[in-house]
Amino acid sequence: MRRRDALAWLGSAAAWTLPVRAQTPAMPVIGYLAPESPGPFDSRLKAFRQGLADVGYVEGRNVEIEYRWAEGQYDRLPVLAADLASRQVAVLVASGGAPAALAAKAATKTITIVFEMGGDPVALGVVDSLSRPGSNLTGVSSLSVEVSRKRLEFMHDLRPAASSFAVAVNPTSPTSGSQVRNLQTTAEALGIRLHVMNASTAGEFEAMFLAATREQAGGLVFTSDPYFAFRSTQLADLCFRYSMPAVTQSRDFPMAGGLMSYGGDFAQSHRRAGTYAAQVLNGEKPSNLPVQLVTKVELALNLKTATALSIAIPPSLISGADTVIE
Amino acid sequence: MAGQHLRIHGLFQKYFLVLFLAVVMPLTTNGLSEAWFGYRDQRTRLEQLLGVEARSAGAKIQGFVDGITDQLGWLVQLPWTGEPDERRRIDALRLLRQVPAIVSLTLIDGNGRERLYVSRIGLNRNESRVDRSADVAVAGARSAGLWYSKVNYYRDSEPYMTIAMAGNRPSVGVVVAEVNLKLIWDVIAAIKIGQTGYAFVLDELGRLVAHPDISLVLRGADETTLAPFREVWEAVRRAGADVATSRNASGIAVAAAAAPVTGPHWTVVIEQPLSEAFRPIYAALWRTVGFLLVGVAIAGLMAYALASRMIKPIHLLEEGTERIGAGQFGHRIDIRTGDELQRLAESFNAMAAGLAESQERQERIAKLKRFLAPQVAELVDRTGDDDVLEGRRTEVVTVFCDLRGFTAFSARATPEEVMFVLSEYYDALGQIITRYAATLTSFSGDGLMLLINAPVSVAEPALRAVDLAVEMQMSVQKLIVGWQERGYRIGFGMGLAMGPATVGRIGYESRFDYTAIGSVVNLAARLCASASDREILADATVAEAVKDKHQVHPIGMRLMKGYDEAFLVYRVAFAERPEAS
Repeated sequence: MRRRDALAWLGSAAAWTLPVRAQTPAMPVIGYLAPESPGPFDSRLKAFRQGLADVGYVEGRNVEIEYRWAEGQYDRLPVLAADLASRQVAVLVASGGAPAALAAKAATKTITIVFEMGGDPVALGVVDSLSRPGSNLTGVSSLSVEVSRKRLEFMHDLRPAASSFAVAVNPTSPTSGSQVRNLQTTAEALGIRLHVMNASTAGEFEAMFLAATREQAGGLVFTSDPYFAFRSTQLADLCFRYSMPAVTQSRDFPMAGGLMSYGGDFAQSHRRAGTYAAQVLNGEKPSNLPVQLVTKVELALNLKTATALSIAIPPSLISGADTVIE
Repeated sequence: MAGQHLRIHGLFQKYFLVLFLAVVMPLTTNGLSEAWFGYRDQRTRLEQLLGVEARSAGAKIQGFVDGITDQLGWLVQLPWTGEPDERRRIDALRLLRQVPAIVSLTLIDGNGRERLYVSRIGLNRNESRVDRSADVAVAGARSAGLWYSKVNYYRDSEPYMTIAMAGNRPSVGVVVAEVNLKLIWDVIAAIKIGQTGYAFVLDELGRLVAHPDISLVLRGADETTLAPFREVWEAVRRAGADVATSRNASGIAVAAAAAPVTGPHWTVVIEQPLSEAFRPIYAALWRTVGFLLVGVAIAGLMAYALASRMIKPIHLLEEGTERIGAGQFGHRIDIRTGDELQRLAESFNAMAAGLAESQERQERIAKLKRFLAPQVAELVDRTGDDDVLEGRRTEVVTVFCDLRGFTAFSARATPEEVMFVLSEYYDALGQIITRYAATLTSFSGDGLMLLINAPVSVAEPALRAVDLAVEMQMSVQKLIVGWQERGYRIGFGMGLAMGPATVGRIGYESRFDYTAIGSVVNLAARLCASASDREILADATVAEAVKDKHQVHPIGMRLMKGYDEAFLVYRVAFAERPEAS
């Protein structure tokens, strides 16, 4: 890729001249704000670094990254964001969902913020428009929030006989209200009932599964929420224990033994966030960088789990899946 | 001198200029024509190359669009029945998976009813049977077979397009696909023109459909963003077959070409920075300039060396002629160029030799004039031969004369008086000597010695000598009258003798005299010494020779000093008072 090469060259040239031009700091610093711990974020970070490298930035060589992990305690995000803002980082990356983006937006009006989220940044009030973000924010949105209704549709395709489904909602999520409304509309269209179940901490998961089982829900549909997305293994275990078919937004879920996932490709969204962060380091103004929507929405299926749950997956679903685990 | 130097300098400049131009002009003409034709060839090649690149890029974008329509073709092959078509639903879902750019598919049956809608984002619909026949996409596909919508920007950002396709008969229905054009990025970003050139796609309204920098596309139909791209496109349209040049969004001068994408009526424009596209041209031009400069430098050096070489013999000639002009006839100009200049130098040398010889002769003649009569000197001069002055033995008449009582007079008289007398005396004698072409061998004080018949022979030398003597005696006697009136007691006597004597030049270097050596000289001197005032004494030989013309009277035997025997001496008679005679 010539253009990338050129950008890479520019990036490395900039990195090469930076220590000469600015004695302190020797390297530009990216503030990286994430709602979780490094473990579940590993695959996202890889994609992010890939995006940086596309423009010629390599962590430790010509750019430093200052990480702030909320360890799943989303209420800590504003403090961490303010901390990064006070360190006057070159660019603040708010990754892993709308809470981080909103916390970052509240923390600074001057430092450029590159967000990575699943919701609609305009609807959430993060930016004014997709094509002209304005102010000091831009970023990437996967379509995860928008496609939560498709999850219900797929679950209905799997269990056409079921008359009701459980929906897992994180009430602390800024997108929960709109997602629930969407799902209700969909349920009406499909002629089914919904049991909305709230869970905002890991401790409430167990109760949620119990309730779903008690309600004899045909399946559990998780709304798009980073808190759920980053607890795929735990949720997959619960599904297995309760023999509850479930669908989440993250591919990690079927990989960990869950039944199915449908959501935006996080590898793509994090990589693009990395590219944007690098472009900001190169001096690009955030107003010139339109908010990108991830084009790829992927369906992942775990056939082993389906067999264990005695669910026959219709061929239309299998042929339309991007990833099938056998 | 200054003028001469200026001329020489000018000649060098002239030579230098002529030689220099003789080399540089064809060189430059050749270089420039080569550069011009090279430039034209390169430009033509670049034009072809850009054209090929544009067609190739256009083919890739066309491939992207055609790939989608090809896939859509599968969904409009079988006629619809009244029953739900599960098979076709699976095909549609598979197609969604296969072609990531397709966001949703709508299948419409032969009656224009919607039978299936599948989407990545929205909810799928099955057998909704909504009448879609009025949709522009459906109507378009039914009339044209394949229909492309204009590009629309989802939420003013993401470019989308609708493609509708009808089958080969109405009963197979129509498929309508929503296509996310952002996915062309994979194709457009892979197109590279040279090192840094790239391609972009504009729709028929001049809006950006695809660009390697996706953020430009995502700005939607933003006029300020689009303006530079439209400008490049305009430049391509204006340029026609030639290479279009314009400025891109970054203000860099670019060469551009375009190719159409049939179907959606898009244009693929490729651009490459001029500096890169014309790099071979510039390289060739610089090469030519380099060669020209080297050529000019070599021509300059050669012209300098040649002009110097040509000027050098001329300098030598100039210097030589100056020295010869200054009288250094011995100077020789040494030029061995083997051409006309050498010949010129040789003729200069010959001229110098001639001048030296001539000068030598002139000097000789000048000396001759001292003792020869001017006529004789001229003769020698004319013939250019002074062989007559060589020593030889010949018959001569020697004439001696001197003033009587001069020694006593000079002792008494003032120097002014002495010089006055001598001046009058020699004035008078000089004219006569000249007229008779006698040779004056020597004079000292008041005495003279003359030779007749040497170095040039004359007819009747004795007669001439006597005529000369008579005239001299008469002339001096007139003076003596005047001197005596002043109270000077001075007389004038002469002696003549004829006989063989050795004549020739004696002396050294520039102090040559012509003289005669022999007893005849002594005899004449003695005769003069013994002659009193108003007396011309001659020996027998003279007397014998002139007795028919002059009155000669023997005056008896006289014993001469230095001679053992006495001689018979004659006195030449002459009119004592010319006025009286």
